[in-house]
Amino acid sequence: MGTKRIKNFLTYVGVIVLLLIILFPIVYIFISSFKPLRELVMSGTGFFPQKPTLANYVSLISVRTPIRNFPVFLLNSLRVSIGTALLTVLIASLGGYGLARYQYPGKGILAQSMLLVYVFPTVLLLIPIYRMFLNLKLLDTHLGLMIIYTALAAPFCTWLLTSFFKAIPIELEEAASIDGASKMTIFLKITFPLAASGIVTVAVYSFIISWGEYMFASILLSSSGNRTAPLGLATLTAEQYIEWGPLLAGSILIILPVIVLFFPVARQFIKGVMGGAIKQ
Amino acid sequence: MKGYNGLSLLKYLFILPILTLISVIFVYPLIQVVIASFYNIRMGASKGVFIGLDNYHLIFSDPDFWKSVNSTLIWTFCSLILQLIIPLGVAILLNQKLKGIHFIRTSILLPWIVPMVALAVSMKWMLLPEIGIFNEILKNTIGTQINFLGSRSAAVPTLIILNTWKLLPFGTLLILTALQTIPEELYEAARVDGANFWRQFIYITFPLLGKMIWFMGFLVLVWNFNTFDTIWLTTEGGPGHIMQTLPILVYRRAFKVFRFGEGAAIATIGAIFLMMVSVLYFKFLSPKKEDEG
Repeated sequence: MGTKRIKNFLTYVGVIVLLLIILFPIVYIFISSFKPLRELVMSGTGFFPQKPTLANYVSLISVRTPIRNFPVFLLNSLRVSIGTALLTVLIASLGGYGLARYQYPGKGILAQSMLLVYVFPTVLLLIPIYRMFLNLKLLDTHLGLMIIYTALAAPFCTWLLTSFFKAIPIELEEAASIDGASKMTIFLKITFPLAASGIVTVAVYSFIISWGEYMFASILLSSSGNRTAPLGLATLTAEQYIEWGPLLAGSILIILPVIVLFFPVARQFIKGVMGGAIKQ
Repeated sequence: MKGYNGLSLLKYLFILPILTLISVIFVYPLIQVVIASFYNIRMGASKGVFIGLDNYHLIFSDPDFWKSVNSTLIWTFCSLILQLIIPLGVAILLNQKLKGIHFIRTSILLPWIVPMVALAVSMKWMLLPEIGIFNEILKNTIGTQINFLGSRSAAVPTLIILNTWKLLPFGTLLILTALQTIPEELYEAARVDGANFWRQFIYITFPLLGKMIWFMGFLVLVWNFNTFDTIWLTTEGGPGHIMQTLPILVYRRAFKVFRFGEGAAIATIGAIFLMMVSVLYFKFLSPKKEDEG
């Protein structure tokens, strides 16, 4: 019995250490975003703010210049992310449904290529995408970003939704088919609502992917009014004198929505990924 | 599938959008980047001048390129080792019956979903000498300081750890999945035979995890090779080009000095190298049949 108790104790110590390592940076950024400048640039001021303040957030939101306009950057990000989420849900649910219900020549490869694109070196895409978007007049547009982000999110989401659709009994659709409903009606009225939890997971995932993306945004967007929040945040560090306060506040404004959106779907997400991974 | 087997073109409408998207955003650029690598392109829109293999000659005689290859290899393989071992340990830890396991598992996903850009810029502050929290802790415990992102010797391990932290959830989730497919009876039988934790791990867990670890190793290898955000947003490839891996070099050549052809050639070389490594990985490291879970 003694060894079992020791093992239990060690397990809990391990979990606590793990959680500390995982949560520390995020929690510390959050706490520090309420510290006044003096505490941010001096040593020995402690973990918690001595004089908590909202000044960093106020400065981030209210000090607005053309190259530093955070409220606009956040709105831009919101626009792009919502657009991406809608596009991804549309494309991935169509694709996932197709792969779950129909036979295609080379279907095995088709299904695998949904995951194969994630071993694709994205840096390989930078130059040709830039040139392609330049020719298509998609450079410096939010639509262009949405297309790229959808391409980054949709294959995985298609893969995820395939298993969600497979779990829906085909008998339901057959019954509707006998009643004379068309394929699209069946898909929209019966299958789509039944896969709601999967759809929400996919929407959140694609939102998160586009909300925080930096690399493509940095090459595709050129005018400051079009910048997304990650791009705006990164340019704050490029200035001669880095204002750490607004920078931390900006980081939190980028991190928080992601956490708030993710926690409700985390269980679904883990289930989907784990369920799919076993079948791989 | 019965009832739907009639040959119809309609069914292709379902997969048409995703296939179009993949073709346009992944496959077509792949061809374009190889073509661009044979041209001298100084402006984004122009087709440039065909110069054959000149870009490649230029790159192979460029010491910056070879330094970059070196950085990429160190970065990729050191990250790979850490990113296999640590998630394995964490997954074994989280596979126990614990109170609040759902909260714990959800929490450990956080590094994965937190946008790198927010983490990286804040980390720059936290890793500062003198005023950064990590140096504060070092100062108060062992009385010394490390210029985490500013010194050549510290920057590489610092960024590797940051990247390992970021990818920890993914690896843990995959290994945890594999662990949960191992029947508890196997462990019970081993315990009856008097096998301790370590022996159970060597003879049951590890062999049955082989396939998943192999699969994960491949993904992590590729992702590390292609890392951009973690490096660019913290040190931009520095200090002193020590972290200038191939993706960083491509980005610089194409979008900082506008030598698109050269950038395309470096990207192509990187992709070919990665493809060769992948082939070798599948040929020599793929788990034997009896190892499959």
